[in-house]
Amino acid sequence: MDVPIQQVIRPATIAEATALLATRPDARPIAGGTDLMVQLRDGRKHISCLVDLDGLGMAEIRRVDEGVEIGASTRMHSIAAASEIRSNFPALAAAAGTIGAWPIQCRATLGGNLVNASPAADTAPALLIAGAVLTAVSTAGTRPLPVAGFFVGPGRTVLMPGELLVSVFLPLAQVPPGCRLVERFVKAGPRREQVIAVVSLAGRAVVRADGTFEEVRLALGSVAPTPVRARRAEAALMGRRPNQETRRGAVQALQHDIAPIDDVRAPASYRRIAAAVLLDRFLLEAARV
Amino acid sequence: MLRRERAHVEEAPGRGPLGGHHERPDARAKVSGSTRYVADLALPGMLHAAVAVAPVASARVSGLDLASARAVDGVEAVLTAADIPGRNLVGVIFEDQPLLAREKVRMVGERLALVAARTPEAAWAAAHLVHADLEPLPAVHDPVQALEPDAPRVHDAGNLIRTFRVVRGDTARARASVVVEAEYRVGGQEHAYLEPQGCLAIPEGRQRITIVASCQCPFYVQHAVARVLGLPLAAVRVEQAPTGGGFGGKEDYPSEPAACAAVLAFATARPVRFVLPRELDMQVSSKRHAMVIRHRWGADRSGHLRFAEVETVLDAGAYIGISTVVAERANVSSIGPYHVPAVRVSTRVAYTNNLFGGAFRGFGTPQVTWAAEATMDRLARACSLDPLEFRRRNLLDDRRRRLCTGQSLRRPVLARECLERAVALAGWDEFHARPRRQEGPMREGMGIGLALYGCNLHHGGQHLDRSSAVVILQPDGSVVVRVGLTEMGQGNLAACQTIAAQALGVEPAHVQVWQPDTTTVGDSGPTVASRGAHASGMAILNAVDRLRKKLDPVAAELLECGERDVELAGGFARVRTDPDHRVPIARLAGEMASRRIEGISTGWYRSRKRRFDPVTGLGDPYEFYAVACHIARVVVDAELGLVRVTEVSAAHDVGKVIHRDVLEGQIQGGIVQGTGWGTSEELKLDRGRLCNPSFTDYIIPTAADVPSIRIAVVESEGPGGPFGAKGIGEPSLIPTAAAVRNAVVEALGLEIDRLPLTPPTIVEALGNRHPFAWVAEEERVRGRSEEVAAGR
Repeated sequence: MDVPIQQVIRPATIAEATALLATRPDARPIAGGTDLMVQLRDGRKHISCLVDLDGLGMAEIRRVDEGVEIGASTRMHSIAAASEIRSNFPALAAAAGTIGAWPIQCRATLGGNLVNASPAADTAPALLIAGAVLTAVSTAGTRPLPVAGFFVGPGRTVLMPGELLVSVFLPLAQVPPGCRLVERFVKAGPRREQVIAVVSLAGRAVVRADGTFEEVRLALGSVAPTPVRARRAEAALMGRRPNQETRRGAVQALQHDIAPIDDVRAPASYRRIAAAVLLDRFLLEAARV
Repeated sequence: MLRRERAHVEEAPGRGPLGGHHERPDARAKVSGSTRYVADLALPGMLHAAVAVAPVASARVSGLDLASARAVDGVEAVLTAADIPGRNLVGVIFEDQPLLAREKVRMVGERLALVAARTPEAAWAAAHLVHADLEPLPAVHDPVQALEPDAPRVHDAGNLIRTFRVVRGDTARARASVVVEAEYRVGGQEHAYLEPQGCLAIPEGRQRITIVASCQCPFYVQHAVARVLGLPLAAVRVEQAPTGGGFGGKEDYPSEPAACAAVLAFATARPVRFVLPRELDMQVSSKRHAMVIRHRWGADRSGHLRFAEVETVLDAGAYIGISTVVAERANVSSIGPYHVPAVRVSTRVAYTNNLFGGAFRGFGTPQVTWAAEATMDRLARACSLDPLEFRRRNLLDDRRRRLCTGQSLRRPVLARECLERAVALAGWDEFHARPRRQEGPMREGMGIGLALYGCNLHHGGQHLDRSSAVVILQPDGSVVVRVGLTEMGQGNLAACQTIAAQALGVEPAHVQVWQPDTTTVGDSGPTVASRGAHASGMAILNAVDRLRKKLDPVAAELLECGERDVELAGGFARVRTDPDHRVPIARLAGEMASRRIEGISTGWYRSRKRRFDPVTGLGDPYEFYAVACHIARVVVDAELGLVRVTEVSAAHDVGKVIHRDVLEGQIQGGIVQGTGWGTSEELKLDRGRLCNPSFTDYIIPTAADVPSIRIAVVESEGPGGPFGAKGIGEPSLIPTAAAVRNAVVEALGLEIDRLPLTPPTIVEALGNRHPFAWVAEEERVRGRSEEVAAGR
């Protein structure tokens, strides 16, 4: 079946796009369309006009002061392949490389993954541990949106009507001398590839020479209405060495950071256990590397 | 990824294409995208069909409001049960299923009204606007509960459809020192064919109609359409469209969309195309049956089986379809290829308000095999024997040939041969000799599954076990072959081409096998039960025999030899005793044409009559049998519960290889589909509604999940079909999931009696043995005190 779209507009500039979005409440931006087209077909979204973001030059990965800026229309396969991302934000590169199949990765964009606001969005935990800041533009101006407060609920974000997500800034990790950085993204699902995460976890650990944690950041997907930072688990790890007792304490604390539900993909009890496993494995690896 | 034992096969000149590798006739068009499936077909003035369906599993229909549906722009017809010109009936065997519901809805997706419109969008929009007043009725969703006396009745006559039995010997008096009991809950499966159900109906006034359908059995469609339109069979022509996968899902089900399209085409006098959207297809089309299987089996101290008791309940869904036929096969297949002195099997078929159970590759055998192989491993452990040794002691062989129903297998019985070949391929002894890695959460295991498959149709379906072929020798020596059995991806065109080319001594490329059409061949029954190559091949051989009665005299004249000395091979008619004395078949065909000799002949095949007592279940349910053994190797993540099937070694008793690539393709495909059924494919139901009707959430294996596959082909001069070949379509799937289950059980050291073995199922089975079991325990203790919102 076709989707009920009357009109597709291809603006030449971001200003043109935001002007359109400001005046047309029936319009919605489209980039890769890998989520949006399915929702339109299923009748979950009622939109008659699409604003195509492809011509706006928003698909670049640039090194900027103190960080890396990724255009919102950058494709997942570009993110997974970019050396700038692979070396500085390996969790994000890994996450981008596990989204759907290769053809999906060639269409799906970082901005789309965030704006769609699925609790299972693979790139979100990676951006949460990186402390990413998103940039939204509208006719009213530009505003920075820290990713930590971006998600409100399933399918809902703090973006306002007419606002367009244009880029994502990731600050480089600060690693004190003598410390090493371990960053991973892992997910649990029902098969080896093309998995929508039943639980996903991004972890970043700064490990001191004596094996204790200078800092740990943890974020998970599919265990709450939005992707979440696991602040209680992080606190349980700070300054400690990931021995069995510490790991157990972190796993226990993690259970208060998450609020999984039973759904068609897995029961809540499995999600809790899988989240525990992923965290424990990350900590073991952080201790080993 | 797929390791092949590709051989040598350089055929001696004149030996013919049998067992070879020549290119499949349908391969290039399919790979290059030029094959035209139903959704690619369009005719001037064609309308699109849609269907309004019930969203609930059990209700009384107190009214239908069609006004808003009729008002949709582009809608040409909205029809209800009252508009059906013939009978409102689509049941294949039993008259329990209407095409359109009148009073009662018994399943989610039950049809209420049909729509034809100028675009698919308008048709579906209108279908969604059909308003039905539905008064909820009690429903039943568990097949065992459905058989209890106070269960809500799906049909007035009660929920027990039929009971099949096998009673041989006295299990109560069998002397067994080791007895195990278990209850297995085996889930269903979606066929997941690439091409959804679809057809095109082309009316010619109200006199006759052509249906082009994606289907496994054009003759079933012909009967169904004739019945709903009130036409004689001869007025309904059904042409099989190129069919993008069937797996049993296009055996009986295509009659339903075809009947819908036919009724709409007659009402509008326009061609009507009906292609089911994937989600609706998954909800309403037939599924592999979920079963509950109870076992009580016993062995003596020396590890020999003494008795087996099996009680099975099949969830048929709301209509019988062909569930009784599936149950009939499951019933007699319940104890696998083992020698058991006393057997008591009962198989009950129950109505529920769940998904519509039907044919699926293996036809009831995979479920009972899964249970039987699980019990074999259980018993082996209880006897302190390893699963291989226990099977060696109990397998049927040339001495002990009596299977479940008392039928004596014809020699050679190759169960032992298959087991040993698979054991060698898998490296069973080496694997079990070395110490297992126990570090970390990854656990390795290896498991065996064996299957005994009765080839072709059961005694109860013998009347359908016949087939028709037409062979036409063209004046240039090329050959047209028509058969009544279908190509759905499994390779029947290649098999028929090979068989005809072998019999006529011509190159395969000179033989064109065309898709079935009910106006060109006689009713050949369904393409099911691994009978495609068998039934069509036997009819082709018969047609070639008859053709040679006209061809051989001409050849003998040209060769100046006796008719009995004519031999066809390597593209020539030649003198048997003097092969260099020969004439090209093309010249012979030209000669026949110029003499106006009929170069066309028909062929017919019917299976042998057999004795079988449906009351006791004793006798010969099938003509001959194929054995298969799969050995699966797995790595299980004992914390996340993820099963990875790394390798499957498959040994198959195939009689004779017809086409090596098609054979291997079937084995590979069966293993992949069996792996999916065993590990990840789960039909999740909520009050009869399928909650995961998409490939986002119905998890079939990807290429990355396909195990490494090793194949051993066991050929023999025993009973079989054309050139001694036996069916492979279903034996290729049946043992896989059982082998995987046993490998997982070995890896984890605990029994798991539910299929599929999804990560949550495995973690649940691990219980307190899981290192983080306490996490879920805490969750339970804490209750639901925390704020929890909805998911995606």
